[in-house]
Formats: sequence, C-alpha cells, structure tokens
Amino acid sequence: MQRVHEGEVRAFEVIFDRHAGVAFSLAYRMCGRRAMAEDIVQDAFLSLWRTGARYDRVRGSVRAWVLSVVHNRAIDAFRRDVVSDTRQVPDEGIAERLAAPELTETEVERRDDVRQVRKALVQLPAEQRRVIELAYFGGFTHSQIAEMLQLPSGTVKGRMRLGLAKLRLALGDQAEVVL
Amino acid sequence: MTGGHSMSEQRDCHGDAAAYALGALEPEEVEEFRRHLASCVVCRDELAAFQQVADSLPMSASQYEAPRGLRRRVVRAVRAQQAAASERPARALRSPIPIRQLAIAAAAVVVVGLALVAGIELGSGGSGTRLIPAVIGSADVRLSGGHGELIVHRLAPPPPGQIYQLWLQHGHQSPSPTCTLFSVTSAGGADVGLPGDLHGVRAVLVTAEPAGGTQVPTHAPVIEAQLT
Repeated sequence: MQRVHEGEVRAFEVIFDRHAGVAFSLAYRMCGRRAMAEDIVQDAFLSLWRTGARYDRVRGSVRAWVLSVVHNRAIDAFRRDVVSDTRQVPDEGIAERLAAPELTETEVERRDDVRQVRKALVQLPAEQRRVIELAYFGGFTHSQIAEMLQLPSGTVKGRMRLGLAKLRLALGDQAEVVL
Repeated sequence: MTGGHSMSEQRDCHGDAAAYALGALEPEEVEEFRRHLASCVVCRDELAAFQQVADSLPMSASQYEAPRGLRRRVVRAVRAQQAAASERPARALRSPIPIRQLAIAAAAVVVVGLALVAGIELGSGGSGTRLIPAVIGSADVRLSGGHGELIVHRLAPPPPGQIYQLWLQHGHQSPSPTCTLFSVTSAGGADVGLPGDLHGVRAVLVTAEPAGGTQVPTHAPVIEAQLT
C-alpha cells in the first residue's frame, strides 16, 4: 500500500488483481446488476488510488479495507435509490442471470475459509440470518428492516447482535484469517 | 454499560455496535454512535469483534472473477490521473473566470458556502489537530502540522456525470487543481484528505466537475474555506 500511496501504478495493479474478484463478487451480491457492480468496484478502487494513504494496516487487512470501501459505496448507491428495485437479490440464482463474468465458484469453494463462513451463516437461526443479510447485503437500515418485517426496531437490532455473536463464536479466529 | 463510565456512556448502546458493523444504523445514529465510541470501551471492544465478523461476510457470496473490461477501465483511469498530476507543475493554470468572480456569481447556485471565523496559521512546527468551525454551511477543516482534512456534512451529491474536485489556492494565484475527486455519502458527508503540504495555501475550494476532473474550474465553488 505504501507503493500505491507513492503513486506506483504497478503496485496498484497488483492490489487490484488480488482483490478485485472478491470486491466485484460483493458488489454483485449487493446490487444484482453487473453494470452497477462494475461501477461500484471502479469507484472504490479509484478512491483507493486517491486516498491509499488512509489505509492503516493496524486496523485490518488490505482486503478488509477494500471490501469496506466497496460495501460503503454500494450502500450509498442504494440510499440514493439508484438500485432500489434490485436489492435483496437472493444469492441463489445469480449465476443464471450473470451472462459475462467468469464463474470461479468451484475453484473458490475449495477454500476452507469460504466454506466456513457459509456454514456458519447457514447454521444461524433463520430470523437472525435474515436481518444480517438484509442489512449487510441489502444495505437496509434497522428501521427499514423493522418496517419490512413488521418488528420493533429493538428486536431487529437484537437479532443482529445475537447473530453476529454466534457467527463470531462459530468462526473464532477464522474471521480474521479469511481476510 | 458498566458503572465506572461517564455520563455519555449511560445511553443504551447495546445492539448499536452490531447494527453499526453491518452498516444498518440511520445516518444520524452513526454520528451519535461514533461520538459514543470515544468514551465507551465496552462498545469499542464489542464493535472490534463484530466488525471482524462483518468483514468476513463477503466471503459467503458467490465468488466471481472481476470482468477484464473493468480492469482495463480502472487502470486506464489511474494512469490518466497520474499523467495529469505529473503535468500540473509545469503547466500554468489559467482560469477563464477569476475565482473571486466565480464565487460571487455562484451566490445563486451555491449548495454549501463555507467561511471561517478566524484565519489559520500553518506554522512549520504546528502539531495537534485544530477543528475550525464554519460560520455557515457545514464543513470543517482539520489541520495537523502542515496537513489537513476537509470534513463535509450535508452536501448535496454532485449532478449526474459530475464529481466534486478539490482545488488549492496559493496566495492570490488562481486555484490549482488536485487529483482529489470525491462524492458524498447519502447523508451528504465526505472525509477528504487535503493533498500535499498546505504551507502557503490560502484557500481550499470544491467545485463540481465532469467525472475525471478538470485542469480549470468550470463551475462555481460550492465550498470555499479560507485558511489564512
């Protein structure tokens, strides 16, 4: 990252090649549109190029930082109502509608870390998993989720908290390793 | 909250750390929670744990390679920005309209105007961070030594196809373009690092420009912060 900060394009390309796939996958999971996902990732990486100096390795891996930028950009796009009609796209079925990106699922699924995160998520009680997915991938606020599910906001926040606490137990140190 | 903490920690914050880590707090709650974090070690610890878990969630999504066209576009844009940045020192910047006139002409279209109560001295030995309150508008300049950040609040997003560009004005010269292009969050917020050494910089300006930025301002400034 230091070399990126110093304006070395080649170093930036290395960072891009290393993390663009997972960044695109996150953006696509969130918005369900290839073009929109590409715009979000492009915007995020250009932001990284301009503000790489703000990356602090003590606060997490480069991948976590890149993904947090992508996540925030996607949520910004949602909250500008740019893609409001495409949110909540379930993960299942995306591959069928994805025409061009090269699917590397088989390859990636070999990775223990990916399997472990998925397994932990699936093992959550459905109501906890739902609020977590609506919040993280759907970009909805707790108030919006409360309205959607006709629940008190406190219940929604409580489910988020319980769900994340269980994920933390299930993943243990793995949460750090996967990034 | 634990009993030994200050009054600011008495707020019922349990649950907010999880919602914050997931990006699910309302914009106004985000600021409140951040302030609360400064004084609540319980929430800080909880957030650190939850953030790590939230950061692992992207790995649960189906994984794809990034489209090749995306890589080409991003790298091309980065090279263009680098080339533009390296050209700038050798290039005399000419603004078709003096910035002061721009600012006056902008009165009707200014989204946020920023003026500072007092001048800021950027001494070489300066240290610490000073928060400069705005008289009108909602933007702050934080200065630490010769470096700074522009913190923007409640600024409307740039028009479609445009982006905000940061300009630095040295003395009475025309403002110099910077590579810093930014948009704002849905709440109108942005945290923009001021590039380079700010010694000699008299004003920081922000204009809406075509995506990719320009060498010459084409719009009136929406933010003008006088530093000295």
